[in-house]
Amino acid sequence: MSTTTTLAPVLSMTGVSKRFGAVQALKDIDFEVAAGEVVALVGDNGAGKSTLVKTIAGVYAPDGGNVVFDGSPVSITSPSEAQALGIATVFQDLALCDNLDVVGNLFLGNERKHGGALDEVTMEQESWRLLRELSAKIPSVRIPVASLSGGQRQTVAIARSLLGDPKVVMLDEPTAALGVAQTAEVLNLVERLRDKGLGVILISHNMSDVMAVADRVAVLRLGRNNGVFRVADTSSTEIIAAITGATTNAVTARAARRAPQEEQS
Amino acid sequence: MNRLRVLDAVREHGAMTQVEIATATGLSAATVSNLVKELDGAGAVLLRPSIRNGRRATQVSVATARGLLATAVFGDRDVRVAVAAASDEVVAQKRMPLPADHHADEGTDRAARLVHELVEGAGQEMSGLRALVVGLPAPIDTVSGHVGSDGILPGWRGTDVAAAMSDAVRVPVALDNTANLAALGEFKHGALQGVSTGMFVKVSYGAGAGLIIGGELFRGSAGTAGEIGHVTIDENGPVCRCGNRGCLDTFVGASPVLAALRPTHGGLTLRDVITRALDGDPGCRRVLQDSGRHLGVALAGVVTMLNPEVIAIGGQVARLGDLLLGPVRESVERCAIPSAAASVEIRVGELPPDEADVRGGLVLAEQLRDEADRAALSTG
Repeated sequence: MSTTTTLAPVLSMTGVSKRFGAVQALKDIDFEVAAGEVVALVGDNGAGKSTLVKTIAGVYAPDGGNVVFDGSPVSITSPSEAQALGIATVFQDLALCDNLDVVGNLFLGNERKHGGALDEVTMEQESWRLLRELSAKIPSVRIPVASLSGGQRQTVAIARSLLGDPKVVMLDEPTAALGVAQTAEVLNLVERLRDKGLGVILISHNMSDVMAVADRVAVLRLGRNNGVFRVADTSSTEIIAAITGATTNAVTARAARRAPQEEQS
Repeated sequence: MNRLRVLDAVREHGAMTQVEIATATGLSAATVSNLVKELDGAGAVLLRPSIRNGRRATQVSVATARGLLATAVFGDRDVRVAVAAASDEVVAQKRMPLPADHHADEGTDRAARLVHELVEGAGQEMSGLRALVVGLPAPIDTVSGHVGSDGILPGWRGTDVAAAMSDAVRVPVALDNTANLAALGEFKHGALQGVSTGMFVKVSYGAGAGLIIGGELFRGSAGTAGEIGHVTIDENGPVCRCGNRGCLDTFVGASPVLAALRPTHGGLTLRDVITRALDGDPGCRRVLQDSGRHLGVALAGVVTMLNPEVIAIGGQVARLGDLLLGPVRESVERCAIPSAAASVEIRVGELPPDEADVRGGLVLAEQLRDEADRAALSTG
């Protein structure tokens, strides 16, 4: 199979299922991401991307299946538990407070204190250190995030997710609704996270963004796995075929093709 | 001194209001206001009324009296776009990752939109743009203006890139090979300054070269001079994407290096391999040194034929320094005619690998602007 990685997966899920009443949102999902790897999660509307993301983030508890994080089996039952493990999520709406400045947003709910008062100096230094690490170009950390561009807001949200030193970062549609210059900024950021040795899960509809930065692409269709592709060995046409269901499952299709040949030999 | 700080802030972050300049530089609002007035008096900045947070404000941007230059340089996996006032005065710059084997329309579309957004982000108008230079990592037929080889950059085959781009940005567009641009950049601003016969070799995903002969960029009769990646090293070697066998690219490009390491090291990128080699990984070092030896064999031919003063090596592998240059020099000394081998200096390029070709693109754009200015003077 073309999906084997030599690096040990930092997060691996096997046979994960989730049902909402009559809707089987996820069925027997296998998914893994290694350190220093970008895995894109793609699929049509209703394919189960968001459910899977929320399952990993601890918003939903799965009905069944195993989750192994950093070598040991875990069950993630709440978002704070996921965060404590080292899984950071940047949701599509970013969840930033427009009226607070960059420092305030980065440390919201996690303020550094010095003898009962807020330690603004440490927080500001820490903010600059984080943003520099991401090579982010933000003119000042003391301006309200309302006055930042879409790409800069995305950067702030990603920087905030890095505060707890996570091992896996999930980005939900980070380039939706961004201009091309800001998209470029976010894609560079994804590459930098990868270089830092983080596992990155990228959810995106834009095939060109996915093919530009991902190492592997996992396709979901109607709540099931529909193939995992190594970007170096595939084309966007093949992935789009898997998303739409033009090919049912690349893996089984290949196995079916191989079977008759083996019988002949 | 503080005037420079204001100017640097505007260069780095694009057009800003005075209040924003004050927070970015740490200067007081009154000081910024005075400095901006001085800079405006000296013609260094452009002031424009605007509105910020519902209040009237003055937007400050860098003045560009002679118009803007732009360049869009494509790599195999990205495009780098720069907008500048002169070849050594970059106003805004951005890199965008692209899929491998992307299609030409996707690449040109993203590059054109990046140029638009960078120009606007710098507080300038698109009408101020004077010339755009597009760099492609493939030989370009100077007669037809098309990508000159079917096997290289397959997604770009048969597109008239200059026409597509000038449609999108509405300024004169020139097309050149990225290795030529990088040679031009190093010639004007880097390791090849003042050299009369020299060569720049870029080794990243493949190898390409730009030649400086008689103090000028040498393109050959149809623009394909310097395609060192497709010099035959081994006639019975592996088949190259250009259709021949045993080209230098089948020994030094990213794919042979990565393929050699895949069984033991798994799926790496070229950047990973270089980083690991610098950290002392013996397998990665060996594979890269082997490619250095092969590169040296090809360069020995050039050294014997052209007797250059300097050969500068750039691209991603330039980070390796002597780890790569050692084996290259060894091969050149072994294979080239001794007198020529003794007089050539082989070193790494001075400009950062991602910048040499961008700077070269701006040098070429500047030449286009100067020609246009001169033509306007002679007719008017």
